[in-house]
Amino acid sequence: MDRTILNPETLILDVKKPIVKYKLVKAVFDDPHPDRSQLTRAIRHLEQDVLRMGALVEQSFRLSHQALFVRNLTAAEEIPRLDKKIDRFYRKIESDCTVIITLQAPTAQDLRCLSAFMQLVRDLERIGDYAKDLAEIAIKIFPYTPHPSLPEIALMSHHAQAMLATSLVALADLDAASGRHLKHLDDTVDNAYDHLYQTLAHQRDVPGVVEPILLLVLAIRYLERMADHATNIGQRVTYIVTGQRH
Amino acid sequence: MVLLGFVLGLVVGIGFWVWQQVQLHRYLQPLTSHAYKVLLPLIPRLRQEITRVKQQRQDLQQSLQTYQDLLNFAPLGYLQVDEENQLVWCNQQARKMLQLQRWQPGQIRLLLELVRSYELDQLIEQTRNWQKPQIREWIFHPSYDNAPAMLEQKSLALRASSLPLYQGQVGVFLENRQPLLELNQERDRSFSDLAHELRTPLTSIRLVVETLQNRLEPPLNRLVNRLMQEVDRLINLVQSWLDLTQMETSPSFQLHFESVEVRSLIVSVWETLEPLAQQQHLTFTYSGRETLWIKADRSRTYQVFLNLLDNSIKYSHPRANIHIEAQILPSKDDFSANYLEINIIDSGVGFSEADLPHVFERFYRGELTAERNSTTAIVGSGLGLAIVRQIVIAHGGTIKAMNHPETGGAWIQVQLPIVMPNSPSQDYT
Repeated sequence: MDRTILNPETLILDVKKPIVKYKLVKAVFDDPHPDRSQLTRAIRHLEQDVLRMGALVEQSFRLSHQALFVRNLTAAEEIPRLDKKIDRFYRKIESDCTVIITLQAPTAQDLRCLSAFMQLVRDLERIGDYAKDLAEIAIKIFPYTPHPSLPEIALMSHHAQAMLATSLVALADLDAASGRHLKHLDDTVDNAYDHLYQTLAHQRDVPGVVEPILLLVLAIRYLERMADHATNIGQRVTYIVTGQRH
Repeated sequence: MVLLGFVLGLVVGIGFWVWQQVQLHRYLQPLTSHAYKVLLPLIPRLRQEITRVKQQRQDLQQSLQTYQDLLNFAPLGYLQVDEENQLVWCNQQARKMLQLQRWQPGQIRLLLELVRSYELDQLIEQTRNWQKPQIREWIFHPSYDNAPAMLEQKSLALRASSLPLYQGQVGVFLENRQPLLELNQERDRSFSDLAHELRTPLTSIRLVVETLQNRLEPPLNRLVNRLMQEVDRLINLVQSWLDLTQMETSPSFQLHFESVEVRSLIVSVWETLEPLAQQQHLTFTYSGRETLWIKADRSRTYQVFLNLLDNSIKYSHPRANIHIEAQILPSKDDFSANYLEINIIDSGVGFSEADLPHVFERFYRGELTAERNSTTAIVGSGLGLAIVRQIVIAHGGTIKAMNHPETGGAWIQVQLPIVMPNSPSQDYT
């Protein structure tokens, strides 16, 4: 299937590499390449910003969960404010990446890192947008009585949130294996989506209007998309570490 | 000619040598002058010095170790990050609170890689930028990487106090406020249950007293009248407590929003309180616009001003003035509408510095009040300001208590958002 799994030793080496490198930069007193350390520092700053943005997206997702499943509408009102911050980070990180690539001539691994960051923040930003959409659904669905399949959807949302957390941990640790593992986690969410879709779509004798069901179908669609974006983040992490796309 | 050349060379050579000697002498001066004073030979002294420094170093290491052990054992969480926001060290408690099990001592990692808390990161950045200690409270949600764990996840109310250290490092103390918060909620809940239980028997007592009142003859009648007053006071207290609890637990409790004209509302409150004010010969002044329309709950807003003015009257010296000032201010950010600021200033005793942070708490009475109680007997439920604050918050406003620098009396500042247009053309209503 892929070579890195066949050769676990290189994998481990690869995972450890960045940490060792940063330490080296710190340890070497007279750095022969002053540009290099500056570049490392710039990337380090960038990584911090990405993680900050990740923390905000996580928070946004958590709030949308609160709004939708615990009927906490104050949580829903807070999300647009967070979304503005997320967008600001998104634009900042993207332009910072471009500046570094053009001005500092990064090497292969750093370049991989930067290009992966650029795509990864897009995924994060999309997750944030979907969280906002979920909050809007929460407001629209509020007047209706809770649907019986709501607990199952809540579990699906928990799964998606756990995936986002895993992807961010994989990014922080630059852990290729856990980045790859996300694909399997995504299967759970996909199955939940299929099952919930069947339940909601084939419901008969719906009392009253269909709006709540429509909204729930949209909600599971969004959750499924969010999980997909989390999977993408995991894959970008694998790409940073191994240089291989899947 | 040859001789002259030789002599010249000799002179230059000797001159150069002398100059070098002088230079060397000057260079060695600090060393040699020191050596003259010391009678001992240099080597033993050097050894002695080295052992002393070694000893000193050991002592320092020892005390450093002690401090670190103490910090590690501390009931508070502590963590320290360097200028690049990398975690340098954290203690046992911090590891437990922030779930930092992944971190090993000696490992240099970005704090954000270990714990994705935007608030904590912000706090650290702010502390570093402003070079000032900061305090912040927030709810920390640990993130889990599997769904079942998320179901029983526990969020923590944390309070962090941060301190800027040398070389851009920042130290943060973390305090787990969750048990305290739960205890508080538990206390309020049991108190409300009690109040609920008290209300029914109190109502029946009141009914009984009412029947008695009509049937008793004059001498006994007086006693029953007093009893009636006290029962009413109790019922009032219980009702206020229940109101307050309801306001707190359901943030959007039933407010009936309507257009309210604030100035006439304040005037009507003053008219209600006039008999009380006249006993102390107090005067009342108002400055600000003639008409101020806001969207608010009329009876609740009335209660706000009633409680505030009642307080001012109680704590004022005789023949003093109570001043109310109202103005419309532009919003601080672009998102919200303008807001109405109302300042209520009296020239009474004011709040004591120690009381200021607590005046809006339930049943809080300042020390001064307790003293004054013996002489002027100020009665009140102790819930007045707490209710005021809850109502203002429910309207989306803020309230602050201060002492006025000029009058020395209490200064309450209420800010309410305005949803109504207040331009002169619409003032005809």
